[in-house]
Amino acid sequence: MEIRPFETKHLDKWKSTLDSCIRCGYCYEHCPVFKDTRWESNSPRGKMIMIYGLLSGKLDPSTYIADKISSCFYCGRCNAACSSGVTLTDIITDAKRDFQGTEFETPGSTSVTNTDCAACLACVRICPHEAREFINGKIVTDTVKCQSCGICVDVCPNKAVATNLSYGTDRSSLNREIRTFLEKDNGKAIIFGCNWSYYPDFQSSVMDPETPPEYKILINMCGGRLEKPLLLEPFLQNAWGVLVACCPDGDCEHDGNVKAKTHVAALREFLKEMDMDENRIQLVQIAHGDKAGFQSAIDKFMENLNTLGPLNRQ
Amino acid sequence: MKKIDVPILKNIVGEENISTDPADLFIYGSDSSVHSARPWVVVRPGDTQQVQQIMAYANQEKIPVVTRGGGSGMCGQTVPVQGGITLDMKRMNKILEINAPDVFCRVQPGVVDDDLNKALSPFGVFYPPTPASSRIATIGGEIGNNASGVRSVKYGATRDSVLGLKVVLADGSLVTLGARTRVEATGYQVHKLMVGSEGTLGVVVEATLSFVPIPKFRCLGMANFDRLEDAGTAIADIMASGVVPSMLELVDSVAIKAVNKTMDLGLPEVEAVLLYEADGMVKEAVDYEINTMQEVCKNNGGTGLTSSYDAKERAKIFLGRKKLFPALSKFSDALSSTSLADDMAVPYSKMAETAKMIHEIAARNNIIMTAYGHCGSGCMHTKILMAPNRQDQWESAKRAVAEIYEYVRSVKGTTSAEHGIGISKASAFKAEKNDSLKLMINMKKAFDPNNILNPGKLMDAHEDWVTATDLRYTVA
Ligand SMILES: Cc1cc2nc3c(=O)[nH]c(=O)nc-3n(C[C@H](O)[C@H](O)[C@H](O)COP(=O)(O)OP(=O)(O)OC[C@H]3O[C@@H](n4cnc5c(N)ncnc54)[C@H](O)[C@@H]3O)c2cc1C
Ligand code: SF4
Ligand code: SF4
Repeated sequence: MEIRPFETKHLDKWKSTLDSCIRCGYCYEHCPVFKDTRWESNSPRGKMIMIYGLLSGKLDPSTYIADKISSCFYCGRCNAACSSGVTLTDIITDAKRDFQGTEFETPGSTSVTNTDCAACLACVRICPHEAREFINGKIVTDTVKCQSCGICVDVCPNKAVATNLSYGTDRSSLNREIRTFLEKDNGKAIIFGCNWSYYPDFQSSVMDPETPPEYKILINMCGGRLEKPLLLEPFLQNAWGVLVACCPDGDCEHDGNVKAKTHVAALREFLKEMDMDENRIQLVQIAHGDKAGFQSAIDKFMENLNTLGPLNRQ
Repeated sequence: MKKIDVPILKNIVGEENISTDPADLFIYGSDSSVHSARPWVVVRPGDTQQVQQIMAYANQEKIPVVTRGGGSGMCGQTVPVQGGITLDMKRMNKILEINAPDVFCRVQPGVVDDDLNKALSPFGVFYPPTPASSRIATIGGEIGNNASGVRSVKYGATRDSVLGLKVVLADGSLVTLGARTRVEATGYQVHKLMVGSEGTLGVVVEATLSFVPIPKFRCLGMANFDRLEDAGTAIADIMASGVVPSMLELVDSVAIKAVNKTMDLGLPEVEAVLLYEADGMVKEAVDYEINTMQEVCKNNGGTGLTSSYDAKERAKIFLGRKKLFPALSKFSDALSSTSLADDMAVPYSKMAETAKMIHEIAARNNIIMTAYGHCGSGCMHTKILMAPNRQDQWESAKRAVAEIYEYVRSVKGTTSAEHGIGISKASAFKAEKNDSLKLMINMKKAFDPNNILNPGKLMDAHEDWVTATDLRYTVA
């Protein structure tokens, strides 16, 4: 394909909106990308400042910038936080449009398909954003349309789809976190929280207490992506229990919650068969922003877990 | 530009905690102010020792160092006027200790205010200075600016809550300042001097902070005023009435319109709304205080008096107040809200006149300004709504800012209540502190003989804030 020069064709219309961005930073509070690296260039505000730099000619386009801007899970938290009326995800999409086809285009957090692809086209069919196409015997991801939801990663039977930049949300990062918490900090439970639902933990700080917390909340990009091996991993590391939070029925645009329910139900059966209390794994459905609901679900779960005690006692 | 040895810094903090990419330099070169400049390198230390090593190197090479927390300062405090190292403290984000019996907590500087309060709440206590930006403001940045917020009228500003600090000085040495006790009369209170020094005296690496019990009852009242001056008089009368509000906020018509537009709060479009809160452990006492304030408002022409103990209702209004500054950008599609003449403090008796004066000065200079603020602590905020791409608007803004601070000085007010000085308020600050400037310059020299810590701010700042740095906007 012909490489075209970078122009701010789609971005131009956002100039005055970005003048109105007061750079307060309210948008970066819960951005999963920023939270993972804590580099401001990974924050929504940082993205807007880079885009303003491109628009004003104060910054030259680069692969680095394209990569930073193209790393977004479209969770929309930044849009919700901004009171200056900046619709950040629309601007991010337009930036991706302007980068597409230029020498700077990079996938960022969007998915790529590697050579192990068996061309079953399961991912093409399932992608809710119509971002995948089969062209000349290869699966091609449209970096503009792809919203890094990761469903393709899950559905691929050959494990040929991956996101190179997953910002701590992929299976191996989550597994690492699980092990560290349970082994080193003597934790009792893992709580899987969906980024689209509510996140009740600290935004950017950590507790350094004498007695470590009993549970750790790990954020993933969708309850539907929590496959059974990941849900079982905490038990292999002697966790007392696992709580999965996902969106209420009908709230998930790709039925990730339905999948999560199926996984959890199957694992509850499995625990029963193993003569373990099935309530050691539970699922709660939390509406977007329901801070109190999530916390009380966690408290209830932990209370029950503490009466059940550790796994090896049974 | 001086030579900077990036590998030396990489050795200290690790490859992944350093950047010289133009995009990072551009981002870390601005904050919530109108200013923009670029550091030479962004460095993210992870512990005290690394901060010490970085400072020792910078001091030896005379490289400027700008310490940065959330980068939400409104006057260019973290804009690296002379380049150098931007020291991003967000990795030092640990809450180290919560000591309920001794009523203090110890935190690293990158801890976010809201996080600290989340951690404190199970103990039934809270850290009160909390600025409106608490969701991203770090404790280090709050110390740098001596931040305060809606509850400071009763509980004080950051300086009142800082018991002790660990600070890395310009030469890399580490000092422990203050104590862990409520009172201290042992020598100079250098930790208090650090608060509000805007990163010009040292790098805070640990803070010991006091906290207060969360009151059992909080009641929020609201009154509408057809005349801004009447709201101003009501503020002075409330403060003289003997009650201590836990919050007393003024919101003027420009701000009301903006908040209504973004948040659908349905505030009445009058000239001013007063929000007042009382809190305490005994409901009767809170009732008494709310009733007293309500009575004062009524006597000054306040209408639509309402009050509520309901947490949800209060939270909704509170959020409106927290989002006021961003919301101002929605006042008109053609105008942007710029952080200029953003804060000041005046005596209570001058509140009404100040609010009126702000609107007069704005009209005279062909811009729109708003008046709001934590008036219970004498704090008045404004913002300039203007077309930032037009050169003539900057000239108008410059005149307006000068006129406002001239007025503030004439009524014996002060240039900054809480947002600090940085670059944009420096000329007003210098005019106000005329006879103590030399003393402050000498103090700064004692701490930082090579002037590497946040140079070009406060006493050291350019007289003309418009040309002191690039503006973050593109001006035709
Ligand atoms: C929407 C909005 C609302 C705001 N509301 C308020 C308000 O109600 N009250 C108020 O007081 N302010 C307010 N501010 C201003 C600002 O957010 C606060 O003053 C806040 O405390 C700054 O914190 P920060 O972490 O962003 O600091 P930064 O902007 O990163 O830094 C502020 C200053 O502190 C210095 N500093 C940072 N860390 C350290 C350290 N570790 N050691 C030494 N110096 C350090 C910096 O060099 C700089 O001079 C508001 C800002 C915005 C954008
Ligand atoms: S919340 Fe809105 S105004 Fe604030 S920095 Fe983000 S985009 Fe800009
Ligand atoms: S939509 Fe993208 S930029 Fe915004 S908070 Fe979510 S991941 Fe971050």
